[in-house]
Amino acid sequence: MAPILSIDRVTKYFAGLTALKEVSFDLQPGGIYGLIGPNGAGKTTLLSILAGSIQPTSGTVVFQDRNVTGAKSFAMAQAGIVRTHQVPRPFRALSVLENVEVGVRFGRSQGSAGDLWDARRILEWVGIAHLADAPSVTLSVGDQKRLELARALATRPSLLLCDEVCSGLTEPETASVLRLLRKIQDAGTTILYVEHNLKAIMSVSHHVIVMNFGEKLAEGSPEAVQSDPSVIAAYIGRTA
Amino acid sequence: MSAVDLLNLLIAALLQAGVYAAMSVGMTIIYGVMKIVNLAHAGFLMLGAYFVYELYARFHIDPLLGVLLAFPVFFLIGMSVHWVLVRRIPTSDQPTLTSLLLLFGLWLVLQNLGYVVWGNSDRAILTPRTLDVLQIGPISFPTVRLVVFGAALTSLGSLEFVLHKTWFGRAVRALMQNSDAGRIVGVNVERTARVAFGVGIAFAGAAGGLLAMIYSFSPDFGGPFLLRSFVVIVMGGLESFAGVAVGSVILAVVETFCILVLPANYQPAIAFSLLVLALIVLPEGVAGLWNKRRRWA
Amino acid sequence: MNGAGKSGASARPRFAFAVAPLLLLAVLAALPAFSLGPNTVRLLFVTLVWVTISIAWNILGGFGGQVSFGFAVFYGLGAYTAALSVNSGVNSILSLLLAASVAVLASMLVGLPTFRLRGPYFAIATIGVSEAVRVVMTNVSMTGGASGYRIIETRPFHQLEHFYAALALAVVAVAVSMQVRHSKFGLALIAIREDEEAASDLGVNPYRTKLLAHALAAALTGSAGGVFAQYAAFIHPQGVFAFGIGVAILLMPIIGGIGTVWGPVIGAVVYGLIQEELIASFPQLHLLIYGSLLILIVLFEPAGIVGIARQIVPRLRARMEG
Repeated sequence: MAPILSIDRVTKYFAGLTALKEVSFDLQPGGIYGLIGPNGAGKTTLLSILAGSIQPTSGTVVFQDRNVTGAKSFAMAQAGIVRTHQVPRPFRALSVLENVEVGVRFGRSQGSAGDLWDARRILEWVGIAHLADAPSVTLSVGDQKRLELARALATRPSLLLCDEVCSGLTEPETASVLRLLRKIQDAGTTILYVEHNLKAIMSVSHHVIVMNFGEKLAEGSPEAVQSDPSVIAAYIGRTA
Repeated sequence: MSAVDLLNLLIAALLQAGVYAAMSVGMTIIYGVMKIVNLAHAGFLMLGAYFVYELYARFHIDPLLGVLLAFPVFFLIGMSVHWVLVRRIPTSDQPTLTSLLLLFGLWLVLQNLGYVVWGNSDRAILTPRTLDVLQIGPISFPTVRLVVFGAALTSLGSLEFVLHKTWFGRAVRALMQNSDAGRIVGVNVERTARVAFGVGIAFAGAAGGLLAMIYSFSPDFGGPFLLRSFVVIVMGGLESFAGVAVGSVILAVVETFCILVLPANYQPAIAFSLLVLALIVLPEGVAGLWNKRRRWA
Repeated sequence: MNGAGKSGASARPRFAFAVAPLLLLAVLAALPAFSLGPNTVRLLFVTLVWVTISIAWNILGGFGGQVSFGFAVFYGLGAYTAALSVNSGVNSILSLLLAASVAVLASMLVGLPTFRLRGPYFAIATIGVSEAVRVVMTNVSMTGGASGYRIIETRPFHQLEHFYAALALAVVAVAVSMQVRHSKFGLALIAIREDEEAASDLGVNPYRTKLLAHALAAALTGSAGGVFAQYAAFIHPQGVFAFGIGVAILLMPIIGGIGTVWGPVIGAVVYGLIQEELIASFPQLHLLIYGSLLILIVLFEPAGIVGIARQIVPRLRARMEG
């Protein structure tokens, strides 16, 4: 099966700092991939490049056999790659429903055949339909995270990039969001998930990629990665 | 054009660049620390000019001394403006609509203040120095421009010193790079912002005084210089002090040589064209180019 | 600033709000019936021109959040284009279209390099273009330079003709504004205003959207300049490119209610009425007043008159109902 996403030696320099150094990996369609690593490993930078928020210095990004290297984020969204934000960024002047409407109307208009997504149905699916007309700023943190997901899903992505979607949530809220992620995966969307909460990410991913100092350190199943000595060293070394 | 003429023009441009740098540095500080484009900069340039003028016309205080005095006076004015107005508006890491409108409103108020107090006739500061020329070999330096250049350089040098050797300077540089990180390591953001704003206005006022020594002025004289400050900081990269120096030189050189072909009236148009060109060719300014160069090192 | 109010509020006020503008339009359209003096008609004419421009600025600045200090450029260029073309024999409607086109081209000159950049570049560039164009127009002799430019009158002057032209343009502007506000384009603009990066992450193309909004606003403003030029028959750089015009253009929607459909209209009417009084009573203080107004509004009531009304109306209604 052809990978849905294939990145090859992606590198990013920022004014003298090497944030990413020749990172390469493939993602197969339909999985939940975890991306972990100590602080400063470059996870968010990589996510931002895949989302089109920033452009790589070198390397290639191929998505569904199309070269999307360096595409801006709206182009990535049109191609089917969409991100959520670590700190939710709702459109403050708009209601919850209108926020999702932006995703519906500007994302890909085609996608999974047969489904007639509209904003209310997405809200139902994500679990915040009762808040549809509320101003988006009045939502709790957990609901704002759901709104982020709803908005992203409204664009009908094939690849959903989740940025620390569980940060700041309580245990039950985290479990609830993870269930939602599995529901999204079941519906056919591939997920790449950056997270600090190792327990959460190990429980939901089928394949984990570990980064450190801007490079890919290891990848494999959650069990394999957790027992990999270099991964353990990276985390323990960092907390010193 | 002979080599001597060329040299004279280049030197004139360099002297001009010094003033432009002093004029623009205030904006850079304020933008760098608070992400606010200080549109009232023009108003403070104007007030600085009148301040130095009045000191000279009423108390016969040498304009250079007047410029020196402008620093503390305008520093206090700047801090007061921040305390009364600027601190009440939300800031973010992008310039906000609110900040643009607030400072634009302030500029209007300052302009009107100028008209009310001083009327709209042109003033000029004429001292024995004004017409003096220093002759070194074939090169002639108008003395007043030399003096202004020296003052500009001195103030820029002092700023460099402050930025690198004092707590304030370190706090400013921290906030310019990353305000969240700065806050985390203990920088008092609001206090630093207030002082930074004060310093920015201090430079605007003093630079206005320097400009007044060279040009005649009226209450709306801030406008063209505001545009020039924009050109300088955009070319420099908005937040880089070295960029201000480079941007000033480029602007001054282009203006000086354009006078050969275009009447001086068109200078705002020249400045604007340079601005647009800079935005097209060098969107991150000269500083951006420098950052990218390091990648290849 | 939510979408079309679907709340359960009573229907009567909304009916009133829908009918009021139509009533006003009917009154204005029937103007000759009121036998108003030429000065009053002139005041109404100028106010209608302001209404168009205020709405135009609001499309880019209010809906889209992009502050421009340079709309006087579109107004002035529109005025000169219309004047030049009328003098070259072009009929008045076509000259307005030309005026709009020139303004649109000018909007590209500013927008193309600046809208793709993050930061204050657009606002800065609009100040620059304002200065630059005023200086150039003051010095270019073909258009009369500082002494201004005159339209050669080939027909007798009918004030009402111009009044209706301004009214028609204002109606078009209101219609455009409403259409934008409730359309996909308007949603994109608002999303960009609220959070351009997040909007882009969802598929909104900020560059193209902003350019389009800018062009639309420029076209309306340029046409308004053309309408004015045809009325005044004499224009000069200090008049149409004046710094004060650029200020007024952004002040009106801010006073009335930035980002709403009717805010700019209210602001233009208020401005149109008070500016005559102001210039008469405090001739030297108008910058002070505009500046202070801006500061006060920004600090205390950013939503302008519409904002104040939105707070008062529910309270009034509560009081009336019990």
